[in-house]
Amino acid sequence: MQKLLSIALKDLKVAFRDRAGLILMLLAPMALIIGMGVISGRFSSSGSGAGISDIPIVIVNQDEGQLGQALVDVFYSPDLVDLIAPITTTVVETARQQVSDNTAAAAVIIPAGFTASIIPATALTATSFQTPTVISIELQTNPTRATSAEVVRSIILKFLARVETNQIGGQVTFEQLLTQKLVHPADIPALARDFGTRMDAGANASASTTITIEHMTNNDAPPAPFDVLALLAPGMALLFLMYTVTRGGAQLLAERDAGTLGRMLISPASSAQILGGKVAGIFLTALAQVVILIVVSTLLFNLRWGDWRGLILLLPAVAAAATGWGFLIASFVKTPQQAGSIGAAVMLLFGILGGSFGTNVPITGFLDTLSKITPNAWGIQAFTALGNGGNVTQIMPNLLALCAIAVVTFAVASLLFRRGNLIKK
Amino acid sequence: MRKIIAIAWKDALINFASPSSLLFFFVLPVVFTFIIGGGFGGATASQDTRAKLLVVDQAGTASSRQLITMLGQSVAIMIEPMPLAKANSTFDANDAPALLIIPAGFNSTAMISGTAQLQLKQQPNNLDAVLIERTLNTTASQITNAIAAAQTAVAEAERIRPFTSPAERQAYFDAALKHTTQLLAQAPSRLNVTRPSQIAPDFNPAAQASAGQLITWVFIPLLGISAMFAYERRNGTLRRVLTTPASRAQLLLGTIFGQFVTALVQMGLLIGFGAVVMRLNWGQSPLALIVLLSSFALAGVSLGTMLGTFVRSEGQANGLSILLGQVMALLGGCWYPLEFFPASVKTIVHVLPTTWAMQGLSNVLQLGAGLPAIWPNAAVLLGFAAVFFVVGISRFKFE
Repeated sequence: MQKLLSIALKDLKVAFRDRAGLILMLLAPMALIIGMGVISGRFSSSGSGAGISDIPIVIVNQDEGQLGQALVDVFYSPDLVDLIAPITTTVVETARQQVSDNTAAAAVIIPAGFTASIIPATALTATSFQTPTVISIELQTNPTRATSAEVVRSIILKFLARVETNQIGGQVTFEQLLTQKLVHPADIPALARDFGTRMDAGANASASTTITIEHMTNNDAPPAPFDVLALLAPGMALLFLMYTVTRGGAQLLAERDAGTLGRMLISPASSAQILGGKVAGIFLTALAQVVILIVVSTLLFNLRWGDWRGLILLLPAVAAAATGWGFLIASFVKTPQQAGSIGAAVMLLFGILGGSFGTNVPITGFLDTLSKITPNAWGIQAFTALGNGGNVTQIMPNLLALCAIAVVTFAVASLLFRRGNLIKK
Repeated sequence: MRKIIAIAWKDALINFASPSSLLFFFVLPVVFTFIIGGGFGGATASQDTRAKLLVVDQAGTASSRQLITMLGQSVAIMIEPMPLAKANSTFDANDAPALLIIPAGFNSTAMISGTAQLQLKQQPNNLDAVLIERTLNTTASQITNAIAAAQTAVAEAERIRPFTSPAERQAYFDAALKHTTQLLAQAPSRLNVTRPSQIAPDFNPAAQASAGQLITWVFIPLLGISAMFAYERRNGTLRRVLTTPASRAQLLLGTIFGQFVTALVQMGLLIGFGAVVMRLNWGQSPLALIVLLSSFALAGVSLGTMLGTFVRSEGQANGLSILLGQVMALLGGCWYPLEFFPASVKTIVHVLPTTWAMQGLSNVLQLGAGLPAIWPNAAVLLGFAAVFFVVGISRFKFE
């Protein structure tokens, strides 16, 4: 055991003395975590992390009535000052061109007669409840800014829903009065004018209603603000963990090719101790890498990783499962170069399948099933559960799955490597 | 020129000496583009990708049924009504991003009195849960709008003649609410969503993924020219080549030219894959595409040349190429659209060539832009190429 540990600790030191290797072991994941924090607004002064802001839109208001202006006012309202960056123009083609040139996320074109199509200019009569010709607002969207355009669309829809409700509210009010014979049809125009005046003055403010939505998490606690780094940091840590273990496998082959493994065999250590020491070295390096990433991200970004007991069990489990894959790759390739290339490919494939590149990657069906062979998928799920307040019991299936991956990959790799031997022929 | 081509060919032979080179040259970029672009079914109709919302209706009122119906009409979320115990266990097993409980007593009276409550359980740090919350807020406001309208009708009737009993008032309210809801459901659409006329009818939203992956996977090998210089410097082959009739300039140009052509071939293959397999319309403006991709390749290879003068070993060069390539792709909007970035970051990232390349490619692919629209992007990329090249050449050492 002592010999095995000596070999493992020696390899651990060698790994952390290699400055080139440290670039990808520690610098790259930290740089990508910081990059994701920057693009998501995690480090902005508002700290909202909300992502989309200052959506550039062009408004053309050709409507002569109050509704067109009301919509323009909505886009310029203080509530939307951070979200929307509107400009107005009178030329429709200019607005369309800005969308085509990708300088605007959307063009909002309010056509002439929009207000009149909802509120007829002529006085209401008992028979004028029929809907006039529908005149629609045009929203030209920029497909390269699909989410921003969707935000603008939802703002317009909300405005239209309010307009529609008010219009229908007025219609229902007078139809009900007529149906219940509370008013004479001849009185409707005068009543409508009076009603309109009072509505404009805010008489319906008392009619506001509310639904309170109580938010909670799976622990019945109020949810913490969305933190994009908490979502992505474990993914990056596991992505580059796969780099470390495949690099460890390549170095094992490099030592075999250079003859140092063969020379070690003339020492009092057995081949099992040597191979075990080498694999333990990869495991310790992987473990140290994840621990360093967690400690640094906690100190720098104040990330919450959750229950420490769960972490103590999870960290060796992910390191072991990843090491198993690194050892397996080293066992069936012939050269360190092959191990490096195939290892890097496996690292990237496991990364995309296992969720290291974020949740916007559509991993469903067959790909979802395939992702279960990756330490990334099980590890990220467990890290996320712990970060969200989960405990050891909740991540137990993940721990078992990671251990199973480690056992199976170690077993297969040991058989293949025994055949290959430690000495290059 | 012959010497330059000979050097470029030599580098290509070194680059593709191992079959595993093809893995990174074509296989992995294609796999990533296919997966991220939803080629494995992420965006097909056969699989419902809407966010799943578990719903427990403990109220059983007209209002709760109306809420469920309206939520079910959303294009973003999928409703799964179920009993509380099952919903809780499903939610606790993390099989759904959110659980909505409509408590007993959720009705129009509660809404009017302001006591109507909904309980929304959300998985933390889950984007689908955030989406569901927004949809629920919108739907709840639509319902309260209808109730507000019915309340107005009641208030107007009451102004003319007070109701004789609470029951009569309630009946009037119920009739007004029913009528309002019916009219709202029949209301015509007053919003017409269009796209710029030059966009091809077979527009495909996977274009963003295809363009982003193309830039990422081409940019990293272009930076990898730094490793080639480090390798040749370590082995002394750069010095040895200098004993040949080739000049230093020819040697450098040959290496750069080889990488440039390799990048163009790689981009051509990836564009071909996107066009044939993913049905992306890359061919709207071939001239704009060629100019943009050539400018991007020159900027990338020049940056790699410059990087090669700062590194000491192949290991450092490889590590830095991957690190810089990935970070610059991320910040350049190749992985996530630039529209998600905070305003200040959106401006700052224009110091990166990847940002200009990604914007240009998006404009060509998604907006059908031609040469006049993308020339600023191409000019900036060529500017980057000139600066990187001058710095790289001035620092270049053969030993």
